[in-house]
Amino acid sequence: MNIKHSKLEAINLDAYYGDFHALKSINIAMEEKAVTAFIGPSGCGKSTFLRTFNRMNDYIDGFRIEGQILLDGRDIYTDDVRVDELRKEVGMVFQKPNPFPKTIYENVVYGLRIQGIKDKKILQETCEKSLQQAALWNEVKDKLDKSALALSGGQQQRLCIARALAIQPSVILMDEPASALDPISTAKIEDLIYELKKDYTIVIVTHNMQQAGRVSDHTAFFYMGELVEYAKTKTMFTSPKDTRTQNYITGRFG
Amino acid sequence: MPHIDVELERLREKLLEMWDLVEHQLTSGREAVMNADHELSQRIIKLERKVNSFDLKIDRMCENFFALFTPVAVDLRTVLAILKINTNLERIGDTAEGMARFACKLDRPFDPELVELTNVMVMYDEALVMFNECRTAFKSEDPKLAKQIIKRDKALNKIYRKSDVVIGKYLQNNPDRIPEGLALLSIIKKLERVGDQVTNMAEEIIFYREAKVVKHRKKKKKKE
Amino acid sequence: MTNSEKNRRKDKAFQVFGIFCTFIGLVVLAIFLIDIVIEGIGRIDWDFLTSLPSRRAARAGILTAWAGTIWILVLSALIAFPLGIAAGVYLEEYAKKTKLSNFLEINIANLAGVPSIIYGLLGLELFVRIMNLGGILLAGALTLSLLILPIIIVTTREAIKAVPRTIRDGSFALGASKWQTVWYQVLPASFGGILTGVILALSRAVGEAAPLIVIGALAYVPFVPSSPMDEFTVLPIQIFNWTSRPQAAFLTNAAAAIIILLLITFLLNGIAVYLRHRQQKKIKW
Repeated sequence: MNIKHSKLEAINLDAYYGDFHALKSINIAMEEKAVTAFIGPSGCGKSTFLRTFNRMNDYIDGFRIEGQILLDGRDIYTDDVRVDELRKEVGMVFQKPNPFPKTIYENVVYGLRIQGIKDKKILQETCEKSLQQAALWNEVKDKLDKSALALSGGQQQRLCIARALAIQPSVILMDEPASALDPISTAKIEDLIYELKKDYTIVIVTHNMQQAGRVSDHTAFFYMGELVEYAKTKTMFTSPKDTRTQNYITGRFG
Repeated sequence: MPHIDVELERLREKLLEMWDLVEHQLTSGREAVMNADHELSQRIIKLERKVNSFDLKIDRMCENFFALFTPVAVDLRTVLAILKINTNLERIGDTAEGMARFACKLDRPFDPELVELTNVMVMYDEALVMFNECRTAFKSEDPKLAKQIIKRDKALNKIYRKSDVVIGKYLQNNPDRIPEGLALLSIIKKLERVGDQVTNMAEEIIFYREAKVVKHRKKKKKKE
Repeated sequence: MTNSEKNRRKDKAFQVFGIFCTFIGLVVLAIFLIDIVIEGIGRIDWDFLTSLPSRRAARAGILTAWAGTIWILVLSALIAFPLGIAAGVYLEEYAKKTKLSNFLEINIANLAGVPSIIYGLLGLELFVRIMNLGGILLAGALTLSLLILPIIIVTTREAIKAVPRTIRDGSFALGASKWQTVWYQVLPASFGGILTGVILALSRAVGEAAPLIVIGALAYVPFVPSSPMDEFTVLPIQIFNWTSRPQAAFLTNAAAAIIILLLITFLLNGIAVYLRHRQQKKIKW
């Protein structure tokens, strides 16, 4: 497939949990300011793969990779890359909304606080801007000092997106961001993703085929640690090349 | 606007573009037939390729829309209607092309007397009005207008049904004009087809807008 | 008799038995409390709290004893609190799951079960003799710190464990270091739980006499300690002292002192319960 400008790239990537070979020589390039969806059955390695892009797997005992992950053409697994710098560039949103047990305001500015930014004006401006980007500002502008845990699940997830946006990343990784939400909240998150791709490169893992169809430009299908097929979403959803892909997206797997 | 609406709007716009193109074919066709304008006819024939590529494009867009958005309810009906209207438009385009080919064969304009007798220009104008109103009905999602269009088709059919007798009589008096008469008969036949296609399109518009109205009818019946 | 009837009877029987067992504990506690209160409540007055110990029962007070207890409490807390939390955080957040860390974990759990007298002997050897501190407050506080350290470590770890993985992930994903994550997220979120554990550990330490006796706190102390380097006594030792006297008046004194000791313990437990309750209300994962 033709990629105009590749933002993220994996080259001959292998990943292991101890003896378990979780990802098998993956080669993929993801386009800038587009949405790439990873689909595949549970345990196919798509989440593991997603987490290699901000090195969230580093904390897992026995995890190691071979090969390269490139962000803007630069290998992010070399010794001179600082993980905290990397994560400023590559934000992440998780499956279950995970707001910190603090106020809404503190949640959004947390990323800035840990960078040592104390200027109130900057913090407040960033807070408003991020919440607006995440389409949450109108709902919470009067209760920024209230606990984030009092928000609904969908609002919490948009708060988590705002929190990720506050540190101005260029890439946002989303690990099944709507799987714990009701359909209306899911639709809001999907519309948000559609808006965000104007400015951000988004990689989303999803179990929901319709979701992949609705939000993504490109889709990668993983099966048993292999990248089986990678194509434009419309191409994959109308005429997949591999029978395994066909069986999976039509719900005939296994 | 939600993503799905953005895509739906793109689809509608594409269809309306095609509509304009086919309209252009039809209106120029009228002129070409009237004046036996070969050059204009050639242009109409060439346009057919463009219409065909629109047809393919809209087909593909609908296919993608189904695959990516799994539409339901009004969204589903809209895309189904667009898919069918697309086919009808393409056929109308074909018809216009066919008429242009007849115009190409004419070495002079039709005998005004014959034109007068057959009412072909009235028929042509009526077909054009129906075609344009159908576009308005689609654009403004107006099922009422669509229903009126369906009624108008009767006028076309009337002229069509009379045409063979009229042309037969005329040819008896003017046996030297047989090719001309036959060409006109074919054109009338084609115009009748255009009327049918437009009726189909109008029916699609009613189908995709009126799921609700059908309900209301049932309620009324119950009340009675 | 049908099977379900049989089951229902068994159920009923166990309920009755369970109520009986529960009441044994409560009744014993009630008898003990009533007995103590009847005997000692009349003896408690301002003089009793503010008088120095004396050979004459009527003039004797518990000023040095409760002051010593407060000293010991505060000092032990100051020593054990940072050590215990730091160790707990290390074991839970930093230590890789190696054989060594496993070994450490098991033995810390074991330490929590070691009899207090053993800690006393350890304190005697280590602080009093080798470090040559003598039977002073600091030595006592250090000894009790050792005693409660395992409890604090274990409760700290439990409290930290209760903080969901997703909170840490969220923090890491925003570029926070491990230390920032622990400091800004894990500790604040688990602080209520940790504090509860620390207070419960302290309330255990308040009641300890044996290890302090071993390190030499049994001395008659005629003054209120004014620095960690002073000699001291504590309430349990005072109580132990008085109960071993033959005169009945001293037994009354002991009962009164026990009431004060129980009040301190209940107060600490009450604070712990309150903190836990507040924590549960504030944070629902």
